[in-house]
Amino acid sequence: MAEQDVTFDAMGSHVRLLIGEPGPGMAPAAEAAERARAFVAEFDAALSRFKPESELCALNADERERVPASKLLRTAIAAGLHAAEISDGLVDPTLVGEIESAGYVASRAGMAGESLDVALRGAPPRRPAAPNPARNWERFAVNDDAGVVTRPPGVRFDTGGTGKGLAADLIAESLRGYSRFIVDCGGDIRIGGADALVHPYEVFVEHPLSGERAFVLKLGGGAVATSGLNVRIWREGDGGYAHHLLDPATGTPAWTGLIGATALGDTAVEAETLAKAALLSGPEDGRSVLADRGGMLVHDDGRVEGVGALAARPRIRIPQPSGTDG
Amino acid sequence: MAAVTEQTRTAHRPKPALVVWSSIVLFALLFALLTYQLNASQLPAPRPVLVRKVLKRRVVTTVVPTPGRNTVSSSGGSLAEASTPSYAPLTTGAS
Repeated sequence: MAEQDVTFDAMGSHVRLLIGEPGPGMAPAAEAAERARAFVAEFDAALSRFKPESELCALNADERERVPASKLLRTAIAAGLHAAEISDGLVDPTLVGEIESAGYVASRAGMAGESLDVALRGAPPRRPAAPNPARNWERFAVNDDAGVVTRPPGVRFDTGGTGKGLAADLIAESLRGYSRFIVDCGGDIRIGGADALVHPYEVFVEHPLSGERAFVLKLGGGAVATSGLNVRIWREGDGGYAHHLLDPATGTPAWTGLIGATALGDTAVEAETLAKAALLSGPEDGRSVLADRGGMLVHDDGRVEGVGALAARPRIRIPQPSGTDG
Repeated sequence: MAAVTEQTRTAHRPKPALVVWSSIVLFALLFALLTYQLNASQLPAPRPVLVRKVLKRRVVTTVVPTPGRNTVSSSGGSLAEASTPSYAPLTTGAS
């Protein structure tokens, strides 16, 4: 099965596209891949909190309460708010000051991080993360008719928590009609196309401690995403270790007893949100977070635990349709 | 004797018109009776038709450990091996 296979760096990570045969009247796969690459560049330029010239940074610096925003920025903020809503505030997009205080001010792409194994030995006692009682994300509103975002000036937003998943979803929308395709934005993966149901893609799950491909999932559609502590660990001024997944209640890096979580979902934003929420919830509540859609948890000791649809060996999962009883 | 018998039979035979009209009247009576019964019977009230849009999403999910490495903690036994796809491996991991 010949497919267009394109890989490039963007959003501080890698992006990979596999695109099959175009449907009638559709552009060749190579052209679709080129358009996707241009879109990712536009996405990154508009939504990076590390680029002062980005529209996101302009929004965060704007002193008005009601700020005109492009469709892309509005979509990204809506995705961040959706993630906060379905995680009940665990995946909080308003922790910009907190992540900067923790030491994550500039992009860490390409930087060698500290060892997770060593960091775990010096980490504080494990406990589940909790939502920030202030719930600042609820003070954001997106008005598509007026083309504006409203929020109290000074409350900053970070689209990074759902950015790669959203990029994968938006590119996937543009690839509808191709025989099968996969969009991989830094490990947040979206799959589509009728042929993928017949010939599923194989996606390896990386183990956060060993870095090895520990398992392989055969996926005929939907999305999968992984959240983990292993790629962005740094030393704080006091010698302690920090990472980029914050406990919203404390604003400090979360050490919950889990070092990785992989989640399935209908969309990459959903999968990414569930993976982060599961990791932040810790082992007990993490199982509940992943139970419906399915996923995998990696404990501090390296043990891998399948949850929901992935708890058992090869199977077909038929989710009940939501909102109907028939 | 035979002539007398024939006369008797002829005398007792009903007139054709009477037979025809009797049949018509009997049919009409039966038809009216059945129509009445049909109207008088209590038909159940028509139930509202509930139209539901049934959506079934099928997600085929297979978990296969890399040969010789880990197993899923909640499952036992050996699982099938990964195949050799035509594309370079795809990996989901923290990024």
